[in-house]
Amino acid sequence: MVHLTNEALSELLDGAQVVGAEKHLSDCPVCRGELEVMRQLRSELRELPQLDPPPELWTAIAARLPGGAPARRFKLGWPKLVALQAAAMAAVFVIGLGLGRFIQPDEGATESVPVSGLVAQTPTGPQLPPASLTDALAEVQRLGVQYDVALRNLERMAAEQGAETPSLAAERLASLNALVEASRTALAVNPADEALNAYLFSALQERDAVMRQINAQGTSSQNRWR
Amino acid sequence: MVDVNEAILVRQACEGGLEAMQQLYERHSSRVYTVVRRLAGDDDLAADLAQDAWANAFQKIRAFRGDAAFGTWIHRIAVNTALTRLRQLARRRDLEQSFDGSTTLGNPDRYPASGAADRLMVQRALDKLPDGYRAVLWLHDVEGFTHEEIGDRLGIAVGTSKSQLSKARARLRALVVEKSAEVVDHGASNE
Repeated sequence: MVHLTNEALSELLDGAQVVGAEKHLSDCPVCRGELEVMRQLRSELRELPQLDPPPELWTAIAARLPGGAPARRFKLGWPKLVALQAAAMAAVFVIGLGLGRFIQPDEGATESVPVSGLVAQTPTGPQLPPASLTDALAEVQRLGVQYDVALRNLERMAAEQGAETPSLAAERLASLNALVEASRTALAVNPADEALNAYLFSALQERDAVMRQINAQGTSSQNRWR
Repeated sequence: MVDVNEAILVRQACEGGLEAMQQLYERHSSRVYTVVRRLAGDDDLAADLAQDAWANAFQKIRAFRGDAAFGTWIHRIAVNTALTRLRQLARRRDLEQSFDGSTTLGNPDRYPASGAADRLMVQRALDKLPDGYRAVLWLHDVEGFTHEEIGDRLGIAVGTSKSQLSKARARLRALVVEKSAEVVDHGASNE
C-alpha cells in the first residue's frame, strides 16, 4: 500500500481537503496513526512551558537605555551612541572619583582625583565639539578606563557606607554640572538626537533637584542618593 | 480591557522612567524570552535577541499608541527581531535547508507511545531543527501565522513555507522518536 506523503499529512493536519485521503485513512492504520502523532506533537508544541530569561538580562538591557547604568561594553562606530556614552561615562566617572576620594582620602591617590579639581579643569561655558569622530572615540576610550576606576570607588562606597552624607550633595552637584556640559558637548555633534536631548533634560532636572535639596536642607540634613 | 497600571507604566517609560521600564520588563520578560528562545533554538542567541528586542522597544516606546496591549506589542517586536536575525543568519546558511528524507512512516512500532513524546523531548527536538524549519513550524503551529505572513516575514514564497512546514513536522516527529528510543535504550541498559 502506498502511504500518504508528509505533505498530504501536513495539509490534513491543517484541515485541508486532500483528494483520496479520507478513503485512504479509513483503510490505513499506519497513516491514521501518523496523523494522530503529528496532531499530538502539535499540541505538545503549544503546551511547552514559558521560559525565564537569564537573571542578568535586565542589567544588559538597562545599560543600553538612556538613563540606564552606563554600558561597559563599547559599541564603536555609531556616532550618536558614542556621544551618549561619552556623556554618561563622564558623569559616572566624575561622581565615582569624587565619592572615592570622600570615602578614602588617604589611599588610592593615583586613582582618586578631587571632583572640585576635575571640575576646575573643565572649561566653563560651551565646549567645542570633538574635531572628528576619531577624537570622540579616543575620548570615550579614555573615559572608559577612568570609568572603571570610578566604578570601583562606587562599589567601595556601597560596601562601606550606607547613606549619603551632606557634603556629598555638593560633590554630586559638581558632577551633574560636568554631566550637563558633557551632554551639551555631545549635542553639538548631533543637536537633533532625541536620546541626548532627553539625557540633558534629565541631568538638568536632577541638578535642579539637588540644588533645591541643598537650599532646603543646608549642610546638616541627610541627603538623598538615588 | 485596558490595564490601567500598565498604561501608567508605559506613560512613565515614555518619559524615560527606568523603573517603569523595568516593571514592564518583569511583567513580560518570560513571554518575550520564550518566543525568541523557541525561534532561536539556542540560549545565547536567545538572550541576545531578547536584549535587542527590549532595547529596541524602549527606544521607540513613544511609537506605542496603545491600540493593542503592551504585551502584544513587545511580543511582535520580539518575533520581528528574531526573524530579522534569522534572515541575516540564513544569508550565510541557506534558509532552504534540505530535508534528509528520514521518516518513520510505515513503521508503526516506532510511534511514540501516548505521553512518551513529553515536553522535554519535544523541546530538545525543536532545538535540533534547522533554523528555517523551526521558524516556520513555530510561527505556524504556535503563533498562528498564515503562510502568507510567514513568507513575508522570512522572505520566502508561500509554497516554500508550506513545504518547510511539512518537512519540519516530519523532522520533528523523527527526532522525537529518536529521543524516545534513546530513553528506552537507556532504561534497558540500566537493568
